[in-house]
Amino acid sequence: MVSAYRSLGRNPTQILQKIKESLDRLNEKIDVMIEIQKHGQKESEAVPDVLDVMTLLSLPDHLRKTAVTISRLDQATAEEVAEQTRRARAVESGYLNQLVIMGYLKKERRGRKAYFFIEK
Amino acid sequence: MRKIVAFHSYKGGTGKTLFSINLATTYANRGKKVCLFDLDFRAPSLHAAFKTDGTEYWLNDYLNGICEVEKVLVDLSQSRAREGEFLVGLANPSTEAIREMSAKDRKWEMKALGRLLSLKTALLNDMEFDYVILDTSPGLQYSSINAIVSADVALVVTGTDASDREGTKRMVHELYDLFEKKAGVLVNKMLVEMVASEGAKRKMRKQLETIYGLPIVEMIPCFCDILRAGGTYIFTEEMPEHPFTKIVGRIATKIDRF
Repeated sequence: MVSAYRSLGRNPTQILQKIKESLDRLNEKIDVMIEIQKHGQKESEAVPDVLDVMTLLSLPDHLRKTAVTISRLDQATAEEVAEQTRRARAVESGYLNQLVIMGYLKKERRGRKAYFFIEK
Repeated sequence: MRKIVAFHSYKGGTGKTLFSINLATTYANRGKKVCLFDLDFRAPSLHAAFKTDGTEYWLNDYLNGICEVEKVLVDLSQSRAREGEFLVGLANPSTEAIREMSAKDRKWEMKALGRLLSLKTALLNDMEFDYVILDTSPGLQYSSINAIVSADVALVVTGTDASDREGTKRMVHELYDLFEKKAGVLVNKMLVEMVASEGAKRKMRKQLETIYGLPIVEMIPCFCDILRAGGTYIFTEEMPEHPFTKIVGRIATKIDRF
């Protein structure tokens, strides 16, 4: 089996890594779909809004923590935010996508990674 | 450990600037590298306290994105620090600048928050300051909340009158708790009889900690000497043996434990 993969020019670790990345991307897409269902609107329809301190104060606690972290980091992936908040990456991914849908953050895919940032 | 400390209050005139200046000079005289910022853009005061109005760039310019923070810093180490380094960043006191800062929109305030948050890396990590002290404006205004979000420790200065107590209590619960800030309270201008004995102090401290839900860092009696000085000199420098100087010394030590 291993030799069969090797004959394709890849070792099992690389293949597993590929599968993990694909699963992460799928997870993110599912998170976005869940949020879109909850809010009944498309991501592209999000009205841009300003993430100032008064807005931060009005956010629910779980989103505020994520939003303050993004303000601090300027731009970050879900993983980088999760490192700061000490919450799971998938959880942060969900919260970040929710903030995108609410119009406070922008999301941009660069290569395999999705970056979240505040449009200034 | 390096820290950004913000002084805040619900009402004006509680003593934020007095504590900011004296704490900063205390740290500098302990050999630390300290930076003191005037973030009260509606009523700037540090330029007058340090008699240094001749600066090319103000903190207003940094927040406007016109210059980097290094350009704003005025080095007062020679005159103000026996051991360490002491720098200040001043708010522009001109009426035009105050008017301009009062008219900023939400988007500008959002960018200002980003620039304040980036100070942590610029000042504590890159420029190796030990303490950055932020003197803020009172109440729930953009400039003060931005400063609190950017700080590691927030110290709220309050008096003993009922309206200040009520407002401070609400502010602490609706602001500090939401941002999960490490915070403490300085109760200033207390009647001497309130803190006359150790027993009275203990009872009062317990009562105040229950009200605010935060540690009471110090209870400071009302000193006529401070009124007599009228802000013309820095207590911790000119009167090293004064009880107020000793209190500021204790506050400096306690902040390290936050």
